[in-house]
Amino acid sequence: MNRLLNFLKNKYFNLVLATVVLIVVIRISMNKSDSFMGIRNIVSVPLSPVQEFLTNAGQRVEDFFTLFKEIKNLKEENEILKIKVNELEKENRELKSYKDKIDELKQALNLKDKFEDYEVIGANVIAKEPGNWFYIFKIDIGLKDGVEVDYPVVSSTNGLVGRVISVDNTSAKVMSIIDENSTVSGWVVKSGGGHVIVRGDLLLKEEGLCSINYITINVDVAIGDVIETSGLGGIYPKGIIIGRVKEIRESNSELERNAIIQPEVDFKGLQEVFVLKRKNDS
Amino acid sequence: MIAKRKVVLRYKVLINTVSIIIIMLLQTTLVDYMEIKNVKPNILLVYTICTSILEGSVGGGVVGLFAGLVYDILSGKYLGFFALLGMYTGVVAGMANRRVQKESVIVAVFFNFLLTFFYEFGVYFFSRLGQQINDIFYIFRELLLVEALYNTVLSVIVHMLIVKIYKKFNLV
Repeated sequence: MNRLLNFLKNKYFNLVLATVVLIVVIRISMNKSDSFMGIRNIVSVPLSPVQEFLTNAGQRVEDFFTLFKEIKNLKEENEILKIKVNELEKENRELKSYKDKIDELKQALNLKDKFEDYEVIGANVIAKEPGNWFYIFKIDIGLKDGVEVDYPVVSSTNGLVGRVISVDNTSAKVMSIIDENSTVSGWVVKSGGGHVIVRGDLLLKEEGLCSINYITINVDVAIGDVIETSGLGGIYPKGIIIGRVKEIRESNSELERNAIIQPEVDFKGLQEVFVLKRKNDS
Repeated sequence: MIAKRKVVLRYKVLINTVSIIIIMLLQTTLVDYMEIKNVKPNILLVYTICTSILEGSVGGGVVGLFAGLVYDILSGKYLGFFALLGMYTGVVAGMANRRVQKESVIVAVFFNFLLTFFYEFGVYFFSRLGQQINDIFYIFRELLLVEALYNTVLSVIVHMLIVKIYKKFNLV
């Protein structure tokens, strides 16, 4: 009996035991993402408001410093612009036409009209992934707001952000399309365009980009083409803008064309997102 | 003597729990603004390693396990993944405890540099089991090396803070 007790206290035995238990837990949570909800809630729910506060505080500090920098920049710019009044006027005219264009686009892409079958729920980003490997973030709505796993997430400009990968009571985690585990079925919007798979990439994500690997011959792709979601796969509805083709890389054979996509969404500055909830989904 | 050890243990559990939660909150929010070359440091990892060097393998394993568990809950995809890695990182770092002068900053710096690679390669390999691995050198240069150096610099500060706290509560 004593021997057994000693064995149970042995540190190597405990190490092996902990390893086995953890591997079992990983296996279970791989199969069902909402397992161990209780444990997750205990930690995640009380910490969410604190995370929200810290993120907001950080944002404010950053805004303050950006303002500082901007003032300095503006002064310098003003000096230059005073000399070049003509250029300034020209730039002004250009900016004005851009502004009109943006307003126009915003109206055209009014989210609520676009997704009639979906209920649009607004959310704030409250925390980011702690490490460098993934691109996942946390938003401030959860089960109580009716969010569920695999709901698509978009930005205010109708750009695809990603999808919900796990939910607890008051918050949810969103995997963005630039995370390397993300694959989205896309469509090149033009005649002769076709079906492509947009993937996240570990290295491109640092620059906020994603990629298309192995474009088939019959798909016509050029720089600047718009990629939309195709609606295949069942997670994302058709017609959300993923991004634009930034670069095409061709290997020796025509068979191996890859493209780099500049997503519609700027992931670094993302603060507000919209979760799409299918209406007949109760 | 036994009563004193119990009190010390209680203090240690309390201090480590509070520290892990505070660091995790910072890691998921404000550390985002500390990026250098698009890479952010992993303060929780630095904390695990520094504590393990002071505590030894058993304490290090426990701290790593719980730090990893909190990491899993607040971020990970699978529960237990970072807990497992954290535990082994703690155990390995704790092995330094008996062999070298544990309060020396140089030890902390050395182990933080090495174990950041150990830990992040662990994340890299296990998160893409069965997938093609062809970009390893690029990742090593652009991501791991930057993070390891960043962590190493931060380890000096974290190590000094932990030693200070331990001395204040007479836990060493």
